[in-house]
Amino acid sequence: MKKKLVGLLLCAAMVGTTVLAGCGGDSGSSDDSSTTEDSTATDDAEEESSDDSAEGGANYDGVELTYWSMWTNAEPQGKVIQEAVDAFQEQTGAKVTIEWKGRDIKNILSSSLEAEENIDLFEDDYNRIANNYKDYVADLTEMADAAGYADQSFAVFNDQAKEWAGFLPCVTEQPQVGGIFYNQDLFEEAGITETPATWDEFLDACKALKDKDISPMALDSTYAPFFFGYHLSRYIGQDATAELATSGGWSDNEKVAQAADDMIEFVKAGYLADGAPDEFPASQNKMGLTEDVAMVVCANYVTSEVNNNTGVELNWGLFNYPSVEGGADSSSAYAGANSIAVTKYSENQQAAFDLALFITSGEYDQKMADTAGQIPADPANTAPASQNGTVEVLNATTAPLTWNMGLNANADLLSQIQEKVVKLFEGSYSTGADFAADMDSLY
Amino acid sequence: MSKKEKVVYKEKINWRKEAALLPGYLIVLIWIAFTAAFLIWILAASLSTSREIFSGSVFKFESGFHFENYVNAWSSSNVSVFFMNSLLYAVVSCAAVILISDPAAYVLSRYTFLGNKPIKTSLVLAMSIPEVMIIMPIYALTAQYHIRGRILLMVLYIFIRVPFTTTYLLNFFASLSRSYEEAAAIDGCSPGKTFWQIMLPLIQPAIVTVTIFNFLSVWNEFFMALIFATSTEMTPVGVGLLQIVNGMKYTGDYGGLFAAVIIVFLPTFLLYIFLSEKIIAGVTGGGVKG
Amino acid sequence: MKRKKSFIIAFILPCLLSLLIMYLYPVIRTVLMSFFGIESVTASMSEWTFNGLDNYIKIFGSPTFQRAMTNMLLIWLVGGIIVLCFALLFAVILTSGIRFKKFFRAAIYLPNIISAVALATMWIQYIYNQDYGLLNKLLEAVGLEGKNWLGTDMKFWAMLFAFTFGAVGYYMLIFISGIERIPEDLYEAATIDGANKVKQFTSITMPLLRSIFKTNITFWSVNCITFFIWSKMFAPVSTEASTIVPVVYLYDTVFGTTGNVQRDAGAGAAIGVVLAVFVGIIYFIMNKLIKDDDLEF
Repeated sequence: MKKKLVGLLLCAAMVGTTVLAGCGGDSGSSDDSSTTEDSTATDDAEEESSDDSAEGGANYDGVELTYWSMWTNAEPQGKVIQEAVDAFQEQTGAKVTIEWKGRDIKNILSSSLEAEENIDLFEDDYNRIANNYKDYVADLTEMADAAGYADQSFAVFNDQAKEWAGFLPCVTEQPQVGGIFYNQDLFEEAGITETPATWDEFLDACKALKDKDISPMALDSTYAPFFFGYHLSRYIGQDATAELATSGGWSDNEKVAQAADDMIEFVKAGYLADGAPDEFPASQNKMGLTEDVAMVVCANYVTSEVNNNTGVELNWGLFNYPSVEGGADSSSAYAGANSIAVTKYSENQQAAFDLALFITSGEYDQKMADTAGQIPADPANTAPASQNGTVEVLNATTAPLTWNMGLNANADLLSQIQEKVVKLFEGSYSTGADFAADMDSLY
Repeated sequence: MSKKEKVVYKEKINWRKEAALLPGYLIVLIWIAFTAAFLIWILAASLSTSREIFSGSVFKFESGFHFENYVNAWSSSNVSVFFMNSLLYAVVSCAAVILISDPAAYVLSRYTFLGNKPIKTSLVLAMSIPEVMIIMPIYALTAQYHIRGRILLMVLYIFIRVPFTTTYLLNFFASLSRSYEEAAAIDGCSPGKTFWQIMLPLIQPAIVTVTIFNFLSVWNEFFMALIFATSTEMTPVGVGLLQIVNGMKYTGDYGGLFAAVIIVFLPTFLLYIFLSEKIIAGVTGGGVKG
Repeated sequence: MKRKKSFIIAFILPCLLSLLIMYLYPVIRTVLMSFFGIESVTASMSEWTFNGLDNYIKIFGSPTFQRAMTNMLLIWLVGGIIVLCFALLFAVILTSGIRFKKFFRAAIYLPNIISAVALATMWIQYIYNQDYGLLNKLLEAVGLEGKNWLGTDMKFWAMLFAFTFGAVGYYMLIFISGIERIPEDLYEAATIDGANKVKQFTSITMPLLRSIFKTNITFWSVNCITFFIWSKMFAPVSTEASTIVPVVYLYDTVFGTTGNVQRDAGAGAAIGVVLAVFVGIIYFIMNKLIKDDDLEF
């Protein structure tokens, strides 16, 4: 009996291997669940796409491109990219292989680029591309000029990337912008007609909301450093924040205590939603589940997250993080982007660049914005309703802040700094000075 | 053991004895009820919408049973890919590891030769070396020679299971009487033939047990896969689930996530239902690592 | 004789090769790496710069690594006590002549076969949820206030408990096998001598389980030193100080994190060596402390 079982298992093993080797290979192409809902959007985009046909019409017969994506083909972004690539192949005759790497792409990119692995174009955070991979990516300036890329993109990202890398290293794919996202209906209910521009006005708005039994602010601990980073950088600017994070001295700068005191008061006044700071995404989900939480400090993807998770389409709006009195920086906003870069050693840089542009402008950019609920990379396209106000903030931004505004500058202490900031929102410190002192205990 | 078994099979219930055991029953039952509660919750969540999960109403099924979560998870969340990969890794490495370890264990237990003892010792040592000690050079090696894709993880999983499997089988061979081989030698059987035709069948129970174990640990393996599975095409279930969890931000399909959890859990669960005795014997038999 | 030799070589060679490729070479290289300044893990040897013990000085001076080590020790100590106590308790209950023993045993071991990713997701999204989580619902049912179990103060303990819950079954099985090997007549003799159950447990079961304890403590220690997946799951987006453990710190150091891109493969190797030394020490102490008696496993 047992003999038979082993024999059977071994047989099964053999058969299993051959069968699997066969079916594993083609399972990647099984995602033909195309998006059909956005018919209105594509109408708009059709006009745009005729402009692009000049570069899309090139003939790349026999050209083979390898594209490393930071998405997986299960995600909406990945699905649109797949569609765009299919269309590109049809139009130009190029053959594109997409490798879905997922978010862990950052772990393997450096070593893969060093080893000159077969990659023609890849996606990652533009900050990493312009700073860490700049030796391995192609200078796109000339190609961009020839294609009129400046008119199809937000200048802020191109300028920033150029400043970091010294040349144009990448093409913006998904712009992001941070600020305070709010439920317009609740603001109306509380009688707030104008979005607050200063911290005092902001506190007034919170009070008005609270009076109507609306919780002003949702906060998940993941985004606590983002909130506090914003506030602190309003006082002392991003560079000073980064300097503090790197080498300490929090207590020496009285603005730190002041910023922390503001937060302590904010928490004490009961302006955080029930249970906040909560575990992601429990608190932000309350904006959709209970519809009585008004705001969240985050980047623009929060809107589609909440909509997706809770099945509610909220009436979203965005305003820039309020300024503080006597602050060093009253208007900068967080802006970031996932971008596409072309490798320096690619033999088909023009084709790779054309593909990058094909994805990030015109029809497919619009599709991406609509399907994934994000800001279009091409300013000529229209942002979906969930992204109300984002383009305005983005256009007004010249010097973008980075993620967590410098609090992340110290790699080694990053997690500990974040923990203390979460504690700040949990009410563990009675004064801002205590917080500053506790931060200094890390150094 | 046998004595206790007999007690269980006695027809008559000794109520006084049962009463004395009551606290024991209670503790165990509470623990198991807890386990059951969360399994049932996962099952219920896998049939609910994201909204129901986040509002805590998974047991009400207000919007019906969402079986489409399973379909979505399987096809569009790539669970089919992860699943097939894990199956491939587990099956191939289980088979290959037996082919490597079985002969080695036999030779090590039966023949004295130069290096026998050191090899045995290094096998035991290898079992206790933390994975973090070996991944970095292997990562560098594979990047240098562009070794990528499924074959990489297959090979790694084979190698990583060799020390345990060999040591486990070694003890088994040692317990077998030498008279089999002596008889075979008298009949003029070559050592190789003796092994394949006589010894191998004799240790089949051990092979089955160790294979189940290898299967489970390869199926649930996470750390190596996290580092070496560099694209969706070669990702096994453990890391695949993490990818799905991280992708929730963009897809918002929590029902699908739990459906994926159930799909991943199912094979090991079924295996367990049918073979739990073997698995338990494996844990207690060999001084098992992982 | 020659044929026999080639037969031995053919049979042992694949196993030997896997030992060399998978263990010997990597271990030697990792130890070497730990004494060099290396940024990228894939950097070739010519790019390494020797810097003596600097990597070790760096990691031991890092507050985050210290935090990770503290967390690891807490997991080892507190988790170890919880796991071994529960495991022993269940083992004793299940060997006390209880009905449905096999079912109970299988059910308690069950979490061990579920992918930890799945288990952790369930704990985070369901049991510990503030609003509708099982734990807070239970507390409310008995009139107590709910709590944010995943706040900075409780998150570590939440993770620890979730981890220990899954681990108990494994150690229970090993205890059971130990208890079942204790000859029944010892207990019968004790009963005749008038020793009650508790007395029997302390004077027979416990002493005879010494080597089982050794096995369990060793396994538990190695398990704690290589603790990774639960920490990763309880902080899936970015590493959090409250749940950080050495292997997570190593992973971040070698590959960089989402928020920061600095990498240091040399320091990563040093962490690996430190952990391996820990495992060695555990084995050594266990062998010295608890001598194997005749009840071998």
